[in-house]
Amino acid sequence: MIHSVIIFNTSGVPRLIKFYTPIHKSAQTVVPKIYSLVSTRPPGSCNFLEAPELDQLLGQKDVDEKLRVVYRSYATLHFVFVVDLSESELGMLDLIQVFVEALDRAFENVCELDLVFHFDEVHHILSEIIQGGIVLETNLDEIDSSVHQAASARKQSFAAANPLALGVGGVGPRNAGLQTPLGWLTGKITGVGAR
Amino acid sequence: MWERTLQDLIRGLRANKKDESKFIAQAVDEIRQEIKSKDMELKAAAVLKLTYLDMLGYDMSWASFHVVEVMSSPKYHLKAVGYLAANQSFGPDTDVLMLTTNLLKKDLTSSPNDTAISLNGLSHTISPDLAQDLSRDVVTLLNHSKPHIRKRAVIAVYKTLVKYPEATPFALTRLKERLEDQDLGVVAATINVLCEMVRREPSGYLSLAPQLFRLMTTSSNNWMLIKLIKLFGFLSPYEPRLVKKLQPPITELISTTPAISLLYECVHTCIVGGMLLHASGDSLAELCVTKLAAFLQDPDQNLKYIALLALAKIVPTHRNLVAQYQDMILSSISDQDLSIRMRALDLLSAMVTRDNLQSIVQQLLSHLVGPDTSSLPTAAQSLALNISSSTSDGAGPILAPTQLSSYRLTLVQHLLTTCSHDTYDNVVDFQWYLSVLLDLTYVASVKVGDQIRDQLVDIVARVRGVKRWAVELMTRLVRDDTFLANAQEEGSCAEVLWAAAWICGENSREIAEPQKLLPHLLQPNVSFLAPETIGAYLQAAVKLFGSWSMELSEDWDSGRIQDIREVVDTLISRLENFTSHSEVEVQERAANAVQLFNFIRADLASASFRPEDDSTAGPPANETSQNPTYPKSLLLINPLFSAYELNSVNTAAQDCIPVPESLDLDVWIVPPPREYTVPEAAPDDDTQEGERPLTKKKLKGKGKRKGKEKMSQAETLGSQTDPIPSAGPSETEEDKAEREKRRLERMELRRHDPYYIPDKPYSATSANDIDAIPVVHLDDLPPLSQVAETQYPSLLRDSASVIPSEPFVVDKNGEMPEGAISPPSSKLDPTPPMVTSSIDTAPQVLSSFPAYVVDEEIPRMKTPEPIKVKRTKKKGVSSAKSRRTVVE
Repeated sequence: MIHSVIIFNTSGVPRLIKFYTPIHKSAQTVVPKIYSLVSTRPPGSCNFLEAPELDQLLGQKDVDEKLRVVYRSYATLHFVFVVDLSESELGMLDLIQVFVEALDRAFENVCELDLVFHFDEVHHILSEIIQGGIVLETNLDEIDSSVHQAASARKQSFAAANPLALGVGGVGPRNAGLQTPLGWLTGKITGVGAR
Repeated sequence: MWERTLQDLIRGLRANKKDESKFIAQAVDEIRQEIKSKDMELKAAAVLKLTYLDMLGYDMSWASFHVVEVMSSPKYHLKAVGYLAANQSFGPDTDVLMLTTNLLKKDLTSSPNDTAISLNGLSHTISPDLAQDLSRDVVTLLNHSKPHIRKRAVIAVYKTLVKYPEATPFALTRLKERLEDQDLGVVAATINVLCEMVRREPSGYLSLAPQLFRLMTTSSNNWMLIKLIKLFGFLSPYEPRLVKKLQPPITELISTTPAISLLYECVHTCIVGGMLLHASGDSLAELCVTKLAAFLQDPDQNLKYIALLALAKIVPTHRNLVAQYQDMILSSISDQDLSIRMRALDLLSAMVTRDNLQSIVQQLLSHLVGPDTSSLPTAAQSLALNISSSTSDGAGPILAPTQLSSYRLTLVQHLLTTCSHDTYDNVVDFQWYLSVLLDLTYVASVKVGDQIRDQLVDIVARVRGVKRWAVELMTRLVRDDTFLANAQEEGSCAEVLWAAAWICGENSREIAEPQKLLPHLLQPNVSFLAPETIGAYLQAAVKLFGSWSMELSEDWDSGRIQDIREVVDTLISRLENFTSHSEVEVQERAANAVQLFNFIRADLASASFRPEDDSTAGPPANETSQNPTYPKSLLLINPLFSAYELNSVNTAAQDCIPVPESLDLDVWIVPPPREYTVPEAAPDDDTQEGERPLTKKKLKGKGKRKGKEKMSQAETLGSQTDPIPSAGPSETEEDKAEREKRRLERMELRRHDPYYIPDKPYSATSANDIDAIPVVHLDDLPPLSQVAETQYPSLLRDSASVIPSEPFVVDKNGEMPEGAISPPSSKLDPTPPMVTSSIDTAPQVLSSFPAYVVDEEIPRMKTPEPIKVKRTKKKGVSSAKSRRTVVE
């Protein structure tokens, strides 16, 4: 199964941390360590992270439980999957690709900022691909339609609760800046949230 | 009340990078207010912000109740926030989980959207209690009309079963039905789940094989095929018939599929599923290895990596096939990529045979030595380095793998374990291997000193033929003052000095001029070493002196006496520095050695006027020729150490030694004080105690008495010393003559006893006093002549470097006790051979070596027999009957 999915940027700032199994060390020690190992790898290396200190970091007991760290880098982001032996190594590389493509479809030309401001949305998309550490769906079209269905359900629910709102909480290209007129007004008055 | 949304929080964070913690503290304060609000929207926004901060490492466990509140909101967009927060922050020990049972029950049967989100949440946060309460609801959802829900339900059922296995009989049949589902996505999810279940317990799912096999031959979905093939890899070791059935379709897949991931999975399953072991497996194995070799040459590093991974698994069964590609694999060890190096290292360790060990080890060693020219940063790398260092904080520059200490450590450990595998089975030339170990000591610069030390000691004990070479290397190491000076540095492998000192000391006969090594062993810098190493150094110095003085005595030249005195004086002064060492072990050894050498110094001082003494002193003139011309103390030390040769001992040796019949571990050594009574009499026959067959009941009584006996013995000892002087006046002239005769006999004995050194020439006047003192002497020491005979002549002194032409013999099993016929496996031999008799006559091992037991392979020589100390009293010298064993 997949034990965790981590996204961080090239400076090591986490953009998404998802642990499917409890880990014996806190995410705040694991993530920086994985980042330092990933970021020091020379270009052109393979996508499997191996380091002598990794076993100890992930708390591995024996060979059968060995965890593998598979990662892929896109522009300014590193996508890291920690998986065990029942996942195929090359299959995981493809799955990362599926995840990125799903993000790309949802956000239309995804970039790091989308992940920054819609971290909840990224979680929702991931939950259409992996549930509880088991791969749920790999077909991109299926994923996309489920993502859209869930997003529009949230949008409808939001709209029903806030008649004045303009689509906050829905998925869409950078509509985060749009605020409710009331929110916009209050922002103007108090200066809170000014960019 | 103007609240901030998540977006505002993130923007604020980005704007306040300098004092982030202050900003967050303020934000958390706001959240604490908002989260208590009655407005659900506001509460949810606060929870969402908290979830974001949780990712940055701020605790949100205090808000778990509010999370449940948001989860229970009827509005879907709020519910989604609540579930997300729960997924991220709830753990197995979150106490509010039990509050969610009814909420989950309701959501599971609500609208499809709610069901989906609750199934997802359930898969993350499930606890045994929740699993028990919700298992039926989740299983029911396996037949939901929407495939999306069925898919999620399949995974949720698996998660439930993990926490609540009691539901398995009821859930498993329903789960298996999903393999026939109309929707391929549901089937794929079921396969994913089954793959996990089969991996945990393969034998329980063999009945699924036909169904899975049909899926494998009909499906074209590569994702599912990969999982199916992996599944068969787990199953087939448990069902031999499956192997036969699977071979044709898998062979076909290997040769036809364009998807490399599927191809690799097929090859991998062939290997782990045992499909290559059968008669028909050889061609398949060849096909697999050819495919993997093609991966190895591929420019894609990923393929190279997985090829190495799979080849390591195929090596144990098809070593020859892999050996063809040895050069290619060897070149991967110098790859820029650490991951590939690690895999190649594993693979090479698995590939090692007698023939290729040397070349592989040499290759690995060359990695440790000097700068790695192949990994000098290229222009592109240094550019990337600049970029990464300008954008990142905390991440170091890109180092070549050989510069990473963790990698070096792994490399050296691999090297050592590979060579020592199966008791050095693959090592042919031990001279070479010892040199490798010494090289490693110098170049490793990681903490492997203790492993090298253990191997050195182990080899010297097991391989007789290499001893002299080992001594030569170790002398070199001890003489190396720079190594000693650097010993305190990190990764200096200073522990090897322990082995060096021990080997030199133990094989001091092999050293040409042992006295020249003494200054190195006792130089002041040694005190910076670890205490156990200093201990070994001191002990080695004593041993070396022992063998040197022995050598001198064999070829005595009275002109040497001044040399010896000087050496002894320096030894004492150097040793005295260590008597105040902070570690008690060092102190004790130094103090012991100082006393021994003081003894020798005293003897040497008296030795110069010995020639005159001899003519005037008590012994008759006809015995002067037999008297040693050299100072006897020269022979003091050597027998302490060389009486017995140290061999490696079989791990089962202890089991082969029969437990003495008289040994009862339940017997009191000292009885409880309340049972104390006045002893009836001091029994004189306690020497026979061991021979008497004792019943359990008797033993108990015996045990009680034993303590008393000791006490009474002490009393009798005290009382018996008194009558002796008082008996003086009443003794007759005959008695006196008899006593005088015995005294002379005894003196004669002492004359040959290296442990008895008179500070005065013998005289008849002091006889009475001397006799009254009980003399304690150590029993069972071999006579001097015997010791000299057992020493085999050192070849080293004849020719400096003789290279033994005969192959090295490794003592793999180790020594077994004499007369032990029973092999180690059959411990239940009804009549184990008695070995005590032979041990009795053999000289005792004076356990003078610190912490020899480094690993299980080489424990100490033999079961240490307690040393018998016999207290000889005035009348007890000649007759064995009255010998009283005080310590047994």
